[in-house]
Amino acid sequence: MLFHTWPFLVFLLIVLPGFYALRKTQLWLPWLTAASYFFYGWWNPYYLLLVVYSTLLDFCLVALMDHCPRTGQNADILSRLTGLRFEDRVLKVAFIISGATTLSSLALAFLGPQTLRPTMVVLSLILFLMTLGALYSSRKIWLLISLVNNLALLLFFKYARFAVENLNATFSSLHISARLSDPSTLMPFGFEYLLPVGISFFTFQSLSYTIDFYLGNVQRERNFVRFATFVCFFPQLMAGPIERAKHLLPQFHQFPTVRLRNFTDGASLFLVGLFKKLALANYLSFYVERVYDNPKAFDAPALMMATFAFAWQIFFDFSGYTDMARGVAKLMGFNLILNFNNPYLATGLGDFWSRWHIGLSSWFRDYVYIPLGGSRDGIFKTYRNLFLTFFVSGIWHGANWTFVIWGTLHAMGIMITRELERSVFYREHVPRLVKQMGVFLFVCFAWIFFRANSLNDARWIVNRIATSAWHDPQMPALMLILVALVWVYQFGYESRFRKCLQTDFVRVGTAVFMVLYLCLCASGGGAFIYFQF
Amino acid sequence: MKLGDSPEIPFVNEVRLSSRQWGVVFVILAFVVTLTPSVWKKLERFETGLDYRIPYALSKDYWLYEHRLQRLKPTNIVMLGDSVVWGEYVLPNGTWSHFLNQEAGATDLFVNGGVNGLYPLALDGLIRCYGRPLNRQKVILHCNVLWMTSPKADLSTEKEEPFNHAALVPQFNPRIPCYRADASERLNAIMERNIPFFEWVSHLQNAYFAQQSIPKWTLAEEGGDPPRYPNAYRNPFSQIALAVPIEPPGDPLRGPQSSRHKPWSTNATGTTRFEWVGLDQSLQWRAFQRLISTVHGRGNDVLVVLGPFNENIMAEENRPAYRKVRGEILRWFAQNKIPHVAPELLPSVLYADASHPLTEGYQLLATRLFADATFRNWMRAKSLPLTESNK
Repeated sequence: MLFHTWPFLVFLLIVLPGFYALRKTQLWLPWLTAASYFFYGWWNPYYLLLVVYSTLLDFCLVALMDHCPRTGQNADILSRLTGLRFEDRVLKVAFIISGATTLSSLALAFLGPQTLRPTMVVLSLILFLMTLGALYSSRKIWLLISLVNNLALLLFFKYARFAVENLNATFSSLHISARLSDPSTLMPFGFEYLLPVGISFFTFQSLSYTIDFYLGNVQRERNFVRFATFVCFFPQLMAGPIERAKHLLPQFHQFPTVRLRNFTDGASLFLVGLFKKLALANYLSFYVERVYDNPKAFDAPALMMATFAFAWQIFFDFSGYTDMARGVAKLMGFNLILNFNNPYLATGLGDFWSRWHIGLSSWFRDYVYIPLGGSRDGIFKTYRNLFLTFFVSGIWHGANWTFVIWGTLHAMGIMITRELERSVFYREHVPRLVKQMGVFLFVCFAWIFFRANSLNDARWIVNRIATSAWHDPQMPALMLILVALVWVYQFGYESRFRKCLQTDFVRVGTAVFMVLYLCLCASGGGAFIYFQF
Repeated sequence: MKLGDSPEIPFVNEVRLSSRQWGVVFVILAFVVTLTPSVWKKLERFETGLDYRIPYALSKDYWLYEHRLQRLKPTNIVMLGDSVVWGEYVLPNGTWSHFLNQEAGATDLFVNGGVNGLYPLALDGLIRCYGRPLNRQKVILHCNVLWMTSPKADLSTEKEEPFNHAALVPQFNPRIPCYRADASERLNAIMERNIPFFEWVSHLQNAYFAQQSIPKWTLAEEGGDPPRYPNAYRNPFSQIALAVPIEPPGDPLRGPQSSRHKPWSTNATGTTRFEWVGLDQSLQWRAFQRLISTVHGRGNDVLVVLGPFNENIMAEENRPAYRKVRGEILRWFAQNKIPHVAPELLPSVLYADASHPLTEGYQLLATRLFADATFRNWMRAKSLPLTESNK
C-alpha cells in the first residue's frame, strides 16, 4: 500500500479513528500492530510470515540473552549436558526445546518432503545455535544467532541470485562445469522468490534492538506486542527511517499525548512529502527513464541533465516517503527521526552523509564503523574503517556491481576529502556555494553508477559525458523550473532570508500552490525507489 | 526521556502551518475547488452547432459530455448509445441523428448523445454519473447486441482484457471478471466521477493536453530519429485556449470519401461465428437493464431501438442463437412495457461491419423509424412528468 494512493487514505480513515477510540484501553497497541501487519500484508500476505518470524525470533533471543550473565562465567557444560543441571530454569527449557526441535527439523530435512529440505536445514542450524546458546549461557551466541538470522534472510532474498550468477559466470570463465542452481529452487512449496519489500529496513531495525540490548544501551522489552509494533510500525515499515529501540520503543509505552499541533504538523509533513513524490519525483522519473533506459541514444547534455534529474528524483522520492511517514506517525502522536536534512546544501561529503538517509548512516556508524574501531586506532585504520563502512553501505542498497561502485566512490571521496574538509583553508576561505556545488557534482557523478542499469551502461555514460557532442537535451523547462524553485527555497531556508519563508503569506501560498499543483499536474502513481532496497 | 514521551523532531523547511494557517488554506481551496468548474463552463467557448457530436479525441472527456447535456433544450430528443449512434464510419452529417432530423424536418430536434468506444456497462456508468441534465428529457436508447456476441465482448471472461472507458464501469460491484485494475485505480475512478473538480482537471487534460497529464505532455515524443520532444520548452499554460477543440473538418478516417467507408463484404473476411452469451449470464445485458431503470427513475421518456445487427455477417448455423437472444430481448421489453422498435435488417451493402451502418444505411434506418407506428406514437407523446418517486 503506497502512501499516495486512495487505498491508503481509506486505510488511514479506519486506523486513525480506531486508534483514538481505543486510547483509554490497552487495545490501542494491538490495534496498531494489526494495522501494521495488514499494511504489510496488502503487498504480499505470505511475506508477512517473514516479518513475524524475524520479530518473534529477535524477541525470544533478547529474552534469553537477558537470562545470561553479563560477565563471562565458567559453566559446567558436562553436567548441563548429562544431567540438565542449569542454574536458570528458562535456559534449561530453551536448551531442551531447541535441542528437540533441532533434531526434529533435521529429521524433517532428510525424511520430509523435498521442497522443505533447504528451509529445514537452515532452521536446524539456527536451532542448533540456540541449543549452544542455552548450553553455554552465552550472550554472544544469542547475538550471533540474531545476526546470522537477520543477515541470512537479507542475503538470501536480496543477494543470493546476484552471488549465484556471478559465481556461475566465474566457473564458466574458469572452464569449471559446476553450476549453482537459482535460489528460487530453494523456496518451499514453490513460493515465488521475490524480494520482500522493506526487508533491509525491518531486519536492520530489529537487529539494532538485539545489538543495543547486548551492548546495554536499551532495556529488554517484555511485551511482545509492543516489540512487534516497534519492528513493523506501518509508517516506517517499508522504507524507514530506520528507528532505534531507544527512540521509538518508549513512545509505545503509553498512549501518546496528542495536541492540535500534531495534526497541523502531520498534515504539513504529509503535504510536503506528497508533493515531493507526486509532483517532483515521478515527473523527474519520466526524463531519467527515457535517458537511462537507452543511454546510447543520447549525448552529453541529456546524460548530464538526466543524472542531475536523478539526483533530485531520488531525493524527492525517498525524502518524500519519509516526510509522509513522519507526517502519518505525527498524526498519531509519534515522532520518527529526521532522515533527510537538505542534503544538497552539504558543504562536504561528511556533511552530506550527516544529512542524507540519516537513519541508515547512523546505523552504519554505530554498528559497523565504531565496532571496527572508528577513528580510534590511527589514520590508516580510520581510513580502512571508513572504506569498509561505505563499501557495505553500497552493497546494502542492492545486489549489483553498480551499487558496489557507488559505495566505493563515496568511500574514496570521503577518504580523499576528509583532511581537506578539516583544513582551515577549506573551512574559512572556500566560498560556501563553491563547496556546495563541489559536493553536489561529486554526488551526481556517483549517482550515475547507482542509477545505470549495468556497469557497462555506467561506463558508457561517463565516457559519453566526457567526449560526445553537445546537442539540446530537451529536458522540459517546467521540470527545471520546479527543481530550481526547490533548490532556491532550500538555500533560502539555510540563509538569513529564512524569515521571509516564515511569513503567513509564504506558508499559506506554498501550501495552496502545492495542493493545486497536485490536483492539476500530478504525474501519476509509481512505487518508491527505496522499496526495492 | 519519560516513557510515552515523544521527542520533538525538527522541520527542515518552513512549510509548517499552524491551525489558523491551515484554516486559511482550506477556505481558499474550498473556493477554488467548488467555483472553478462552474466558472470555467462560462468562460470556455463551446460551439456545438448542427449535428454536433463529442469529438473522437474527447471521447473520455465526461465532464464535457455533461456540459453538452446541460446545454440541451427541453424539447431535444437525445440518442444514447455507442459508436453506432455516434457514427464510427460517417461524418457528422451522415449520422443517425442527422437523418432523423432530416425526416422530422428539423435541424436540432434529435441530438447525437453517442460516445465512441462505449458499451452498455460504460453507458450505464456514463448516464448514472454524468447524465443528470437529461432528467425528464425524451431519450432514445440504442441496444447493440454486438456486446453479447462473445464472453470477451461481454467482458465476462476471467482472462484480463484491456477495454475502453474503464473509469465508467462498476469498479467493485457487480464484479467484471476481466477487469484487473488494482484498488487504487478503482478508487481513483470513483473519486474522479464524484468530485467535479477532478472531472474538470480531466477535461483540461483531454481538451488541451492530448489526453495526458501536464507533466507527460511536456515530455511527449514526436518520433523521428533522433526523436524530438516538441513540448519540452513550451509553456503548458499557453495551451489552454479557453475553447473546446472541435472535430477536425474532413476527417480522413470517416465519411464517404474515406477508405474505411465501404461495405463489410469488400473486406474479404467472410462470415463470422459468434459465441453468443446467454442473457441470464450477460454482464452487458444486465447493465443495459440497469440503464433503462436509471433513465426511467429520472423521469425520462425512453424508446429503445434494437439493432439492426448485421445478420449477413453471421455464419448460417450461428443465426438461430442470435435470433434467440434477439427474441428474448424483445420479450423482456414487451413484458416491462418499454416502448421499443426493432428495425428490420438493412441491405448487406449498407453495413460497414457487424453493427455499424454506412451513411446510406443510417438514412434508410431513419426513414424506417419514421415509418414505424410505435416510433411515431412515442414521438407524439409528451414527456412524463417527474413524480415524487422518480425525482
